[in-house]
Amino acid sequence: MKQFKTILKFELKSYFKNKTFIGITLFLVVAITLVMFFPRITALFDNDNDTAEQEKNGIMLIKPSTPESEELFCSAFSACFPDMEVKATFESDEQIKKAITENEAECAFVMTSLDSYTYYVNNLSIYDTRTATANEALTNIYQMSVMMSSGMSAEQAGQILSVQIESETVNLGKDHTENFFYTYIMIFALYMVILLYGQMVATSVATEKSSRAMELLITSARPTSMMFGKIFAACVAGLSQLVLVFGSAILFYKINEDYWGSNPLISSIFNMPVSLLVYMLIFFVLGFLIYAFLYGAIGSTASKLEDINTSVMPLSFMFIIAFMVVMTSMTSGDVSNMAIRICSYIPFTSPMAMFTRIAMSSVPIYEILISIAILAVSVVGIGIVSARIYRIGVVLYGTPPKPAAIIKALKNSK
Amino acid sequence: MILELREIEKSFGEKKVLQGVSFYAESGKAFGLLGRNGAGKTTSIRILMDVFKADKGEVLIDGKPINHSALKIGYLPEERGLYPKKKIIDQLVYFAELNGMSSKQAVSSVDNWLSRLGMTEYRNKRLDTLSKGNQQKIQLITAIAHDPQIVILDEPFSGLDPVNARMLKSVVKNIISRDRIVLFSSHQMNYIEEFCDRIAIIDEGKVVLHGDLRDIKRAYVRDKLSVRAERTDIIRAAMPEMCSDGERGELIVRLPSPGDKKEVMEKLLSLCDIDEIKVYEPSLNDIFVEYTDKTSKEDSNEAI
Repeated sequence: MKQFKTILKFELKSYFKNKTFIGITLFLVVAITLVMFFPRITALFDNDNDTAEQEKNGIMLIKPSTPESEELFCSAFSACFPDMEVKATFESDEQIKKAITENEAECAFVMTSLDSYTYYVNNLSIYDTRTATANEALTNIYQMSVMMSSGMSAEQAGQILSVQIESETVNLGKDHTENFFYTYIMIFALYMVILLYGQMVATSVATEKSSRAMELLITSARPTSMMFGKIFAACVAGLSQLVLVFGSAILFYKINEDYWGSNPLISSIFNMPVSLLVYMLIFFVLGFLIYAFLYGAIGSTASKLEDINTSVMPLSFMFIIAFMVVMTSMTSGDVSNMAIRICSYIPFTSPMAMFTRIAMSSVPIYEILISIAILAVSVVGIGIVSARIYRIGVVLYGTPPKPAAIIKALKNSK
Repeated sequence: MILELREIEKSFGEKKVLQGVSFYAESGKAFGLLGRNGAGKTTSIRILMDVFKADKGEVLIDGKPINHSALKIGYLPEERGLYPKKKIIDQLVYFAELNGMSSKQAVSSVDNWLSRLGMTEYRNKRLDTLSKGNQQKIQLITAIAHDPQIVILDEPFSGLDPVNARMLKSVVKNIISRDRIVLFSSHQMNYIEEFCDRIAIIDEGKVVLHGDLRDIKRAYVRDKLSVRAERTDIIRAAMPEMCSDGERGELIVRLPSPGDKKEVMEKLLSLCDIDEIKVYEPSLNDIFVEYTDKTSKEDSNEAI
């Protein structure tokens, strides 16, 4: 136990003294801080412009189909495009085109009748929705004019067209639009941390072997203390990095809450239920351990750093597949499909799959408990097997042993 | 204290690495474990240090099975290596703590050794900024800082310059004088001869020779004289069939029988001016080669 503590302390110290570790954490915290202060900073600059009139973007030319309809079209377009300066024109189409190509006007609607027009624009942006807006307004005008010509008053026609349907949505489960983003962020954090720290554990074991510090370590400490010390240190380092980044996000959000106003995306992220954070912690720790154990065991079988990348590939692939299943389910909107249901009980995929299901749908508590129980038992099992592989792996040098050879050695070591 | 390995057997897969290795070492004396590459020295050491268990046989301390948690062992592995990117003080304290010291004890002991070996100025430097010889000294501290009862030194002198080698010698002599068991493993026979009272030679997983070095040497038939003189040509001319060349420029005179020693010595003295004359004893090198080199064994068999 004393050895485990010594190793944990030493490994933790080397994480917290590592310049890359400090650099990345600081970078993330600074980036988060900037994002969280962004509305406050923009508000500072906006103050100067508050008194100024809203700036018009450009000139929109309207050529009515008949001189009588000039006012009708101009008022309708002005209402639809408040950011544009709407001007009526009766010049020829050629001159209008020229005005646009020479940047005197930004765009033009040349009406050929009440229900048809030509839209002129210099460069059509993919975000240009002006025709859609115009269509809507013109449909209204057309419908009004037809109604009025059949004897209805303007008020009556207006009432019919502007009828509002009253509706209310009562959500008995979870709101996908609201929890999609925080689930996404957390799954992504889980994915990054497990993959990165797993690789770091494997590399650190292989470095000890290749620098031959292992020769001294195996004679000074028990391999199980060595492996568990190393992995728990990585777990604590990863967790503290997450806490620091998310903690600073929450802290700086609280400071700037007023400036964020009622941005639904941001407030949904920060009003995430506490129970979800607890589940996140459980699945993070268990998921981290199960992968870190395997990464550690694989690292112990490599004698050179170069061997690491190929050795850990199958494990990394397994994890990436789990991530893909979860992500496709999330984006498809159906987080209760068969694939994710199965994945939420398999120990290697359940940390992400079950967490997604909990966050985005209603999962019965017994299902959650079964999933956690399977995962916890697997963590212990994988831990024991990995420690055995580690014991054998650390004294082996040369080409990495084949899986069959490891299994044989495991049987012999019992 | 007596450390004894008794009938140790160990196989890795099909390969039998150790086939009944037995030897013992006493405290206050240095013990030399010799053998060619791959003979089983490192495996014996690892079993002794509980890195893995023996298939058969036992490791005993004063006749009782060894208790690793109660016994401190220091080890200088042949394959040197620590953490190249870490501060020297950090890693030395780490290893001392792993070997059972409290962090306070570890720091004071490490500082003490750093100053004894003249390395205090490197205390807060990274290991990879040091020269190879200085890295060796740092590695030595990992083996002795926790004041172990058994010190195992595998090729301790390789890579050291004569000044550092002398420093290491005095450290080793000091450890021996403090009644510790020192176990040497080396191919540099002159150092083994200088330090070790007892030796064991392992060949292909078996102990082929074990005992007190002086007794081993004395057991050889004392039928040769080693002669140093200015005019060896006169001796060669006088007794050509008895003379041969020694390894270090001396003249070897083979006696017809050990009983003829006095008579031949007197004859030599009468022939010319003699600087040195003594009974020839085989060097440890000769003994080692004799026991481990198969080709020479076959040659000597044929000669008989």
